[in-house]
This record gives sequence, structure tokens and C-alpha cells, in this order.
Amino acid sequence: MSDVRISGLHKTFGTVHVLKGIDLEIPAGEFTVLVGPSGCGKSTLLRTIAGLEEVGQGDISISGVNVNSLRPRDRNIAMVFQNYALYPYLSVFENIAFGLRARKMEDHEVRLRVNSAADMLGITGLLDRFPKQLSGGQRQRVAIGRAIVRKPQLFLFDEPLSNLDAQLRDEMRGEIKKLHQDLGITMVYVTHDQIEAMTLADRIVLMREGRIEQMGSPLNVYEQPATRFVAGFLGSPKINFISGELVDAGDRQAMRLSDGEIIPLPKRTQAWGQSIVLGIRPQHLGRSTDSKVKAGEVKLSRPIEIVQPTGSRTYVTIKIGGTQCIAETESMETGRPGETIDLSFDLQHAIFFDPTSGAAII
Amino acid sequence: MTNLSVAATRRWKLAGRYGLASLLLVFFVFPIYWLFIISFKTPDEIFHFPPVWYPKSLQFANYAVLFKDGDAVSVLNSLILAGVSTVIAMIFGTMCAYSLVRFKTGGEDFAVWVISQRLMPPIAIIFPIFLLYVYLGWVDSYGGLIILYTAFNLPYVIWMMRGYIEDIPLELEESALVDGCSRWAVLWKVVFPMARTGLFATAVFTFVFAWNEFIFALVLTRTEVVTYTVQVTHYFGGQSNFWAKIAAMSALGTVPVFITVSLLQRFLVRGISMGAVKG
Amino acid sequence: MTSASHADNSGGAHHPSRRMPDHNFRYWIIAPSVFLLLLIGLFPLIYSLVVSFQQITMTDYDTSFAGLTNYAQLFDDARLWQSIAHTLIITIIALPIELVFGLAMAHLFLERMPGRQIFISLIVLPTVISPVVAGATWRLLFDQRYGPINQVIGWFAGHDVIMLWNITPHLVYPAILICEVWQWTPFMFLILLAALSNVDKSLTEAAELDGAGFWRIFFKIVLPAIWPVMAIAILIRGVDLFRIFDVIWALTSGGPGTMTETISIYTYVQGFQQFESSYTAAIAFLIVGLMSVIVIWAIRRMGLAK
Repeated sequence: MSDVRISGLHKTFGTVHVLKGIDLEIPAGEFTVLVGPSGCGKSTLLRTIAGLEEVGQGDISISGVNVNSLRPRDRNIAMVFQNYALYPYLSVFENIAFGLRARKMEDHEVRLRVNSAADMLGITGLLDRFPKQLSGGQRQRVAIGRAIVRKPQLFLFDEPLSNLDAQLRDEMRGEIKKLHQDLGITMVYVTHDQIEAMTLADRIVLMREGRIEQMGSPLNVYEQPATRFVAGFLGSPKINFISGELVDAGDRQAMRLSDGEIIPLPKRTQAWGQSIVLGIRPQHLGRSTDSKVKAGEVKLSRPIEIVQPTGSRTYVTIKIGGTQCIAETESMETGRPGETIDLSFDLQHAIFFDPTSGAAII
Repeated sequence: MTNLSVAATRRWKLAGRYGLASLLLVFFVFPIYWLFIISFKTPDEIFHFPPVWYPKSLQFANYAVLFKDGDAVSVLNSLILAGVSTVIAMIFGTMCAYSLVRFKTGGEDFAVWVISQRLMPPIAIIFPIFLLYVYLGWVDSYGGLIILYTAFNLPYVIWMMRGYIEDIPLELEESALVDGCSRWAVLWKVVFPMARTGLFATAVFTFVFAWNEFIFALVLTRTEVVTYTVQVTHYFGGQSNFWAKIAAMSALGTVPVFITVSLLQRFLVRGISMGAVKG
Repeated sequence: MTSASHADNSGGAHHPSRRMPDHNFRYWIIAPSVFLLLLIGLFPLIYSLVVSFQQITMTDYDTSFAGLTNYAQLFDDARLWQSIAHTLIITIIALPIELVFGLAMAHLFLERMPGRQIFISLIVLPTVISPVVAGATWRLLFDQRYGPINQVIGWFAGHDVIMLWNITPHLVYPAILICEVWQWTPFMFLILLAALSNVDKSLTEAAELDGAGFWRIFFKIVLPAIWPVMAIAILIRGVDLFRIFDVIWALTSGGPGTMTETISIYTYVQGFQQFESSYTAAIAFLIVGLMSVIVIWAIRRMGLAK
């Protein structure tokens, strides 16, 4: 178990500035997920921790040891790759034993470790097979087995589930989480899938264009996004963004939408410019069945445009302030397109953003 | 009615294709047949007018003479020179190709230079090499020719292996690096086994090129390491050629090539087109 | 605990400084190849240049500076220019024949037919034979009395024919060309067959539906599609033809007289039969220089090194 400290990390490929000053502390034993859209530098960051990319500028230390000039094999880390990286010419046993053999471990110790890892992953029966005889999920298990036999101080995952089909992905996600609970090793996991990030992480590090946009616990990042980008990246269906104008409504500030709707702001804010963006997640924009207006509640009535039932809940598309928004209701009885639906949301779930900087302001 | 005539046209077309194909077969295969058949003829059959199209019985006397006179040693020489130089060229060339692919060592300029060496006329480099070898006392030695064959085949090996190495997923190597392999270990434990089919195919073609080589052997051998290609030309003599020996020696040198290449049919196109066609 | 497990798990590998550093690895692994390539790629060039400025001949080991004498001699050497002309004639005639013949054969075998693979395997055999053996084979075939070729021609002529293929001036070139075409058309055939098979069928079929004729489809769709491969095949064969030696050595040895002397044969004669060392060096330098320019231009043009 060990912690990773990264400070002032820069990295360029030719003229492309991939990492633009990363400062990050990964506490020992935690499951940290690096997440972001493709090209945000998350994989490069992981590969730099692994030593597969050289540090351009800045420092990386693992367990207090600066590893900038250490080769990958001297960092005592294990890495699971997207395409499993299994050697087709070696049996499953030899694939798992590869790292141990590379370190010239004694044969009986190799056997012991491979067998216990195989046991743990439920692939004991596959040890004599070759990778091409395995299914995607089995390959993934072998790849994980190869990493855990090494008993590394740090475990790195580079989009390990992206080549699996949806059902297997859910299953393996659970297993990886369990693995972390059982082993307690520090894990760093890269993904572009926000659901994987939310479900697996102790801590999410959300990256964008070579910088860390926000980090924190999944819930914290989800509920208190620092920027419009973070709010838009996490959550499915996506958060609704509605633009409007900042107006004064007597004692308090309010937001006026292009369709005339007035939404009061919970707090006063410095009036940065005239426009403001309201973010409200679909699950917070529910159907209103009560005619009374509670404190801090905003009520709206809109004609339904599209109805998408999923079984457990129903997504209703309406137009608010000129933008298409999705509301999520639990009931199936939402009405039909063209009919009017009554909606409400609580102001405490609303997030307001500055449209130019993208920062959350209230 | 129409269907019938379409079918008939198709049949005639197919017959035509077989006809043409057979003509081509005769043109391309008959000379080889003639070479081999002469090696099995008696002197009377060889020097008979009109020519004898097939011998009454297969005589191995012509081959026996080659072995008795010791001329067949030239086939062994070819085997040693081609074999050893191929092994060395494969090891060095694959290492170099790996560096070109993974680290872009030397960039495009170096790659262009390497491949251009493959296309240089041997005659233009053999003269200075000859003078160097005379100075070093390497003429008519195994070592001298092996070095030259290795060097001359290197561009081909580098070129072909470059293509095969590019097909190896980078993740396999990175995984090995993380798992505790040095760069050298990655080369031996991942790259060589991953590229083994390509290594094998390239090695066979490299071997064939060295085996069939003529100019270098002509210039740099005297008596000790004469190759079969040079030995064949020793039987030419103005008006009186040693036909039986020419044919038998050529056949001895050609049969191994036919066997190896026919085992490698599916690599043939990629092999002779220098990787231009991957098939 | 962490540092202890680190040492344990990395075994003997935790002394990175004692080992060869990985960042020089890329140079270590090209070193042997570069050394050997310099032996054939750079040494001959430099050495030729040095010797070509001296006056070494068979009788006189004179290393004094000769200036451009040897190069000046190149221009007055009719036999040299004649040998270059011979080389070009062979190249210019053989290359198109092999190309067109090979392409036609590729078309013939493009569609499936029973036994196709056997035909192809047999037809390809000449290409893998040693060129010197190919030359020897045709020397046997062309023999005026005991060779089968004059015999077959005799059948058509209706009387015995005695054609001295490797002696009669107007027959030596056809003899060389037949041998070249025989050996290397299968090379073109095989590569072009593979290239043709890779042409996207939906393109040609769509054009066919649009009413385009065979030649139109060939020039507008097929040829552009196979051109990159064809260009490489032409480059390889062009260079091979330019350095032709083995076949001629076996068939005519450059004769009769100097009639079939190519640049390679002539250089060999100068260097190894007449021992005109300095002059040969000048010729070698000329060839390497000329070929380097052409070959490197062609490689870059085709993007071969990318």
C-alpha cells in the first residue's frame, strides 16, 4: 500500500501540450478514478505514473520515493491494459506467472502465487488454456490475475472494461470493486465512462484538456460540480442547462428565461455580466402533483414533446427557456406529447453557472 | 435457351482459360523440366540429335560424379554461408527493425538509407570490398563471405521485420515493462515470440537470397568456399560445356529452394514484394 | 513495510544504475546493423572515391594523386557508354514486357478455377531459381544442336534449324530477354495478382452496372488501386534489370565480343580481369552515385519509408 504524489507535472508530445500542470495526491489504499473525455490527458497521466511515459516537468513520487527516473519495472506497480495485453504464445498460467518469472522467482513460489490468484478470480480451470481460447471476460480476469500475483504497491487500470459488452462490464466492475476491498491496494483507474467512475471511485479526478477540473468523492463531485463542464460530464441523462438573464426582482435576484419564466435565485450573487446558466439534473426536475408551492420550490407547466418510458422511470422532454430539457418521473402516467405537464424542482438542487467562465457561482 | 447459351459461353471461356493457363505452364515449367531431365540422362541421350525429350531410365551417375569429385562440397558451402549469415542477419536486423519501429531511431532518413542499400548494384560495392578483403586476407574465407552476406541481406531483414513488428500491439510490450522486464527482456520474451511467423518467413527468403547469390561469391571465392552458383559456371567451357554437371549441380542447388518456397506459399508475395503486399 | 516489499518484489532489479540504461537501448540494438551497413553502404563509397583519385593499375601500384584523370577517362570510354546503352536497352524492353505479360496473366488467374493454386505454384518457380542457374538452363535450351528450342522451331519451319543463340549478333538480345522475361514475369504476375485480388470488388461492379467497359474500368478504377504496389514492383525490377549480371554471365559472358556487355559486366571486366583498379573505382563511384540519387528519389516519392 502506498500513496502517490504528483506535483507540477507537465508533458508534451511534440508541440501538443498534453498535461498542463497536474498536482494530485492519491492517498494510500484509496481507489482513485481518473475520468474525462478522450484527449483530456488521463491515460497519459496514468502512463506517466507507470513510467511508460517520461516525466516532462514536475515530480512523481510513490511511497515517498521520487520515481521520475525509475524504469517501469523498478516502480513495483502493476497495470491492466485495455486490450488485456495477454501473450498469445503463453498459456494462461505462464501469462499470470510472467511478471514473477521476469523477476526470477523460484518455481514453487510462482506456482503458489499463480494458483492462489487463479483461485481468487475463479479461473483455476483455465490455467492450461491459451488466450485465444478465452472469452473477453476470462481474458480480463487473466489480465487482473497477472497484476495481483505480483503483489504490487500500486495497481493501475487503463480503461480495462471498454472492450467488454455491457453486461460483462457491469459484472467485472463489481469484481474490481471487490478486489479493491479485499486487497486494500492503492488503485488508480482510468475511464471515460462516468458510470464506472461514479460506482468504483473513492475519489474521482475529473480531467479536461490536460488539467484537473475537479476532484473529490463521487457524490461530492456529482452534487457540487465546480464547473459547468463537470456538471455536464457526470450524470445520465445529462444535466439540463438553461440560459437566462440576471434580473432584479425586488429584494432578491432572479433569472429570467427567454420564455418569460422568472426563477428566483436562492442567494444574491455578484452580477457578472447579464447572463447566467441554470443547471438542473433530470431527476431533480420531477412531476408536480401538489398544487401548493413549498418554500424554495419552482413550479413550471410545459407541453410534453417526447415521452421515453424505461420501465422503472420515464423521461419526459419539454422545452424550458428555449432549450430542450429532460425531466425524470417515477410514474408511467405522464401524459402524451402535446399535453401539458406540471413540473417542479427544488432550488437547492439548482446550480447556477457563469456562462463565460463556466464556474459554478451559487 | 438464353440460359443454355450463357452456360455454354461460360464453359468455352473456362476452357479457353485452361488452354492459356496450360500454355503458360509449358513456357514457365518446361525449362525447369529440361534442366532436371538432363541431369538424369546418359551422355548419349544428352548429346543426341534430335534431342531426347525424356530419358529411358533415370540415371544418377551425373550426381554420383559430383560427389565423387568433391564438387558437391559447393552445395555444403552454400548451406554454411547462407545459413550462418541468415541467422546473424535475422538477429541483428530484427533488433534494428525494432528500434526503427518503436523509437523511430534515425527517423525517416535512416529508414530510406537502409532500404536504398538493398537496391544498390552489387558490382559497385564489390570492388572496394574486394580490395579491403585482399588487404585483410579474407578472400576465400567463410567469415569474409558470411559478413558480406549478412550485411547485404540486412536491409531486407530490417525492411520485412519492420512490417511484422509494426503489427505487434504496443500494450504487450508495455505490460512486460511494467511486469519487470528490461528492454532486452522485452525483445527476447515478447517481440521475438510475437513476430515468430514473420521471423520464419523472412529468414527463409533471406536464406534463399544468400543461397542464390552469385557475384560476391564469384569475386571473393577461389577454391575453399566456392558456392554452388559459382561451381555451375565452372562447367562452362567455350564450345564444350559439361552439360551433365551443369544440370546436376543446378538441380542440387535448386531443389532445396523449391521445397522451402513451396512450404511458404502464403508468405511468397509479401516476401518478394519487400512487404509491399501483405497477404 | 513498503520499501521492504518493494525490494522483495523487484528482486535483483532494484539497482538500476548497474545495468545498461534503457534509454540507450535503442542505439545498442541498431549498432551491429549500422556497423555492417556502413561496411557495404559507406565504406565502398569512400574507398572508391579515394582510389579513383589515384593511378592504380594492374602493373603499377601508383597511389599518387591523379586528379580527375579517371573521371575524364569515363567520358572518352566508348565501351563504358556502350555498356550503359546495353543495360538500358535490356531494361527498357524487358520491364514493360514483364509488366504487361504479368498483368495479363494475373487477370487470367484472378477468377477462381479448379487447380488454380497448382498452376500458380508451378508458374512461380522460375522466380526463386538462382539467376545464374536460370542463365545456365537457357544456355542448355538454346544449344544449336542438342537444345530443344531449335528443334521446336525446326518443326514449324519444316526443316532443321541451326540458330546460334548466344553467338549470332541479332539473336543474343532475344535470348537474354527471353530468359529475363521467363524468370521475372512470374514475379510481376504474383505481386499483381495479389494487388488485383485486393481491389474492392464493389467498385468495379458498380462501374460495370454503370455501363463502363473493360478498359475504362481498368484505367479508371483498377489501375489507380493497384498502382502503389505496381510502382514498387517496377522499382524492384527496374533496379534488378539495371544491375543485371548473373544471367548474362551464364548465357553470353557479355559476348559475342562486347555486344551484350552491361554496366555490371563491364565493371567486372575492368576490375577483375584487367585490374584497372583506379578506373574501376571511378566507375563504381559513378554507379553508386547515380543509383543513390535515383533510388532515394524513388523511395521518397513512393513513401516507402513511412
